[in-house]
This record gives sequence, C-alpha cells and structure tokens, in this order.
Amino acid sequence: MSIGNPDMILDFAVRLDGISLRYDSSEEILSGVDLELKPGSFTCLTGPSGAGKTSLLKLLYLALEPSRGEVSLFGRRTHDLSRSALSLLRRRIGVVFQEFRLLDHLTAYENAALPLRVAGQRESDYRSDVEELLRWVGLGGRLDAPPQQLSGGEQQRVAIARALVNKPDLLIADEPTGNVDPDMSERLMRLFIELNRRLGTTVMIATHDLTLIRKIEAPVLRLQHGLLVRDVEFGSDVA
Amino acid sequence: MSKETPLLPERDTREAALFFVVCALCFLAALAALSARATYDAAASWTAEVQGQVTVRLIDADRRGADEARDLVAAVEGVKQARILSSEEIETLLAPSFGAGGLPAGLPLPLIVAVETEPGQRRLAPDLQRRLTEAGIEARVDAHETWAGDVRRALGVVRLVALSTVALLGATAVAVIAFATHAALLARRDIVEVLHLSGASDRFISRLFERRFWVLGLKAGAVGALFSLAAAALAMSMASSSSSRTGLLPRLSLDPVDLLILIATPIIAALAARIAARVTVIRSLKGPL
Repeated sequence: MSIGNPDMILDFAVRLDGISLRYDSSEEILSGVDLELKPGSFTCLTGPSGAGKTSLLKLLYLALEPSRGEVSLFGRRTHDLSRSALSLLRRRIGVVFQEFRLLDHLTAYENAALPLRVAGQRESDYRSDVEELLRWVGLGGRLDAPPQQLSGGEQQRVAIARALVNKPDLLIADEPTGNVDPDMSERLMRLFIELNRRLGTTVMIATHDLTLIRKIEAPVLRLQHGLLVRDVEFGSDVA
Repeated sequence: MSKETPLLPERDTREAALFFVVCALCFLAALAALSARATYDAAASWTAEVQGQVTVRLIDADRRGADEARDLVAAVEGVKQARILSSEEIETLLAPSFGAGGLPAGLPLPLIVAVETEPGQRRLAPDLQRRLTEAGIEARVDAHETWAGDVRRALGVVRLVALSTVALLGATAVAVIAFATHAALLARRDIVEVLHLSGASDRFISRLFERRFWVLGLKAGAVGALFSLAAAALAMSMASSSSSRTGLLPRLSLDPVDLLILIATPIIAALAARIAARVTVIRSLKGPL
C-alpha cells in the first residue's frame, strides 16, 4: 500500500537542520541530523536500541531542545517561539509514547479526552467523539476503567486514542504496536494510514517491526549511533 | 453528565501534613492579630482616659485655699470641669499602696483638684501652673503626660511585636506552601509532563495547583481561625471570671473587628497559598524541575 498526501501547501511539516543532542556532558545522542518531512508524508524511523530514535522523536514533539541546530515545525522555527506559542504548537502534535504515559487517576475515557480538555473544549462537545474513537480501538466496554485495570495492549490503545483525538497535523508514535497482537497492530497501522490519507496528517512512526514496515511501503529513515545513516524510499530496503 | 475528575490526584498524604502546618500557622497568626488589636484598643482606651485629665496637688493649703484654687482653675478657658477630690476618693486612690488595712490614722491627706479639660487641650497644664503661681497658690500641676508617654511607648513595642509576629507567621506560611508546591510539582512531574505535551500552557498547569492550594489554604485557615476563636473565647471567659485586677492588660473582646480578623484569616491564607503556588509553578516550569 503506497501512502502520502501530495495536496499540502506548506513546504515542510518538520525540518531539522544540523541537529545535535547531548544530555549534560555525555556523548552526543544525535549528531548533525538533517531531516525534512513533507506535509502529509508518512515516514518510518528504525534503528537498533540506543540509536537515538526516542530522542529524535522527543525533539519533534518539543519535549527536548537540541544542543545544536534548529527544529522547525509547520514552517516555524521553534527556538524563536514563546512558551505559550510552543503550547499551542504542541496541540497540533499527537504523540504515542513508548511507555504510554497514561494518568493513573483518570479513566480510559478521560485519558483519551485529555488533549481536548487541555484545549478548553467542553465535554458535551467531545464526549461522543471520544467514545466513538475508543470503541473503534476496541475499548468501547472499558471507558470507565482506570489504567491499572487495563492490560498493556489496552493501555497502548488508550494512548493511541489520546494521540488521535484532536486530529493532529503531526502524529508521532514511538513503537505504537509493541504491546498489541498482530490483528490490532495491523488495524492501528490502517488507522494511521487513513489519518494520513484523509486528513493529510504527517505521520512518523518509530518501530522495530520490519514486517510492518515492509507492509506499509513508506519511506524509512534509519538511525545508528546518533547518525541518520540511511534514508531509503521503501521498507523493502530495510533489513 | 458525570463530574470531571480533577487533573491532579485528590489524595496526597503530604497535603495532610501541609494542612496541619498551615492550620497551626493560621491559628497563631489569628491569635497574634487579635492580641495586636486588643493591645491597640487598650492603648487607645488608656490614652483617652489619661488625656483630658489634669491633676492639681495643692501644697500647704487648707480647704478654703483649695476652693480658691478650684475656682481659679475652673475659670480658665479650656477647662470643662474642676472639683476637689473627697477624702474617700483620695483614700481609694491610695488604697493599693496601703493594702486592706486602710490608711494609717492621722496620716495627712493631700488636697487634690481633679480637672477635666476640653478635648484637644494638650498645652493646658503649663498655663494652669503659671496662673496658680501668679495667684500665690503653691501647687503641682500634672497632666499625666510622662506616664501616658511611657504607656504609649510600651504598648507601641507590644503592638510592633504582635504585628511582626503576624508578618513572620504569614511569611512562614507562604514559604512552607511554596516548598510544598514545589515538592508536589516534583511528585507529579509525570502528570505535568503529559499535560505539557498535550498542549497545556504554563498558566493552565499553574491554575491546577493554584486551585488545589487555594482550597487547602481556605480550609486550613478556617480551622485555624476557629481554633483561635475558641482560644480567645476561653481567654475572655477566664478574664471575666477572675477576681484579680486586669485593667492594665489587653482584653480580647471579639467585637466585629475581631470577627473580621477571624473571617479574613482563611481568605488571606488561601490567597497567600494561591499566589505562592502560582509563583512556584511558573518558576519551576521555566527551569528544570
């Protein structure tokens, strides 16, 4: 299945120019990374553990600032933006964290609805949409369950619902299918693809799942030791 | 529609300890404020009592000389009333010095003219002294200014100490709340990060903490104020049942102003808690937690 939406006007959704990242005085996690994601593109990011995939994604969802270089999102250099402008920019990004990061004291429904609540929307306006989304990811009967009562796969699906709930312009997912069975995994990937095609959402997924990458036929970026060493057209080239 | 769950978890054992600390600080602050006010009232009352009164003690004068002195004083502009104190009144004045047995027999009592002046006549005593001297009457005119000045100074110090205590307790409460807010922020860093990454602004996050600590301040302040009300009522009850002379001590009254202090205590505590939480959260979010 070939994917990507060619009808976007912006030159790029994401651009990284000469990005380097190090924590304190440690070695560089990322070194001189240049990357451009076209609006409406669908990209996979792969590489061995410790290669810097999660760090690269953190830069994209504005949880980290680079030690060197420049991050631009939707045509805006993030370094120049105020904290409140960054908050507004984050609302255009949906993130599926590797470790889910659900809030334990909220129900599945409330976790999924969090970005809408933060954006100040009224519950009466979004309740049915959130419930429908949770039903779609197979959690229709678990709306009121707190995360502790959900399995790993169910928690991951809540995290995915939370990332998708405000129809983001950029969706970033860190191993989104790591805890779900193959059926659900394929279903979720179809959802990501559908979002990408229908809404023009730019999608970047970090995954180890080479089978999945081959099925998607999306451009693949490969990170190794902090360097973007491979930028290939399709997953079939990744092995 | 079900009520939304607060974004910050409601139960936290640390907050129970903080509640107790703020409650105790509010209790002490309210009590100190009530004491400051009682001292202020006492000072005002004593000063008002002393001001407007002049005592003329006649030296080597008989009853006739006393009448003459009284008439002379009463005729001076600014004098409202002048009268010679009776022997009984003078004995009452001297009684504290001589005890229950009364004055020794044969002790000569001084002749005293008690003068009540019109309000604002603070320079009258030297004028009276001059006129009495000119009339050939030997007398000592005392406007109680030295004593009143000492009392005012002493009460000023007591008041300053009480107000400083209120300020110190308030500052301590703010510091404790700021510390607790930072600890709460650290403890809930995971929540704060998820909110941040979901697009919450610093203001949105700080409002969550502000609301939490506002309610905590309000509740702890109310309990603290209630305890200080009980303590004040107990002190009043003990003072009223005591047979000892407590006229010179500040007395708690629980009048409308005192009640206003008690009502204001939780509001001030809540405001301080809210502001401390806001400043702490905004500062913490800008730097590394």
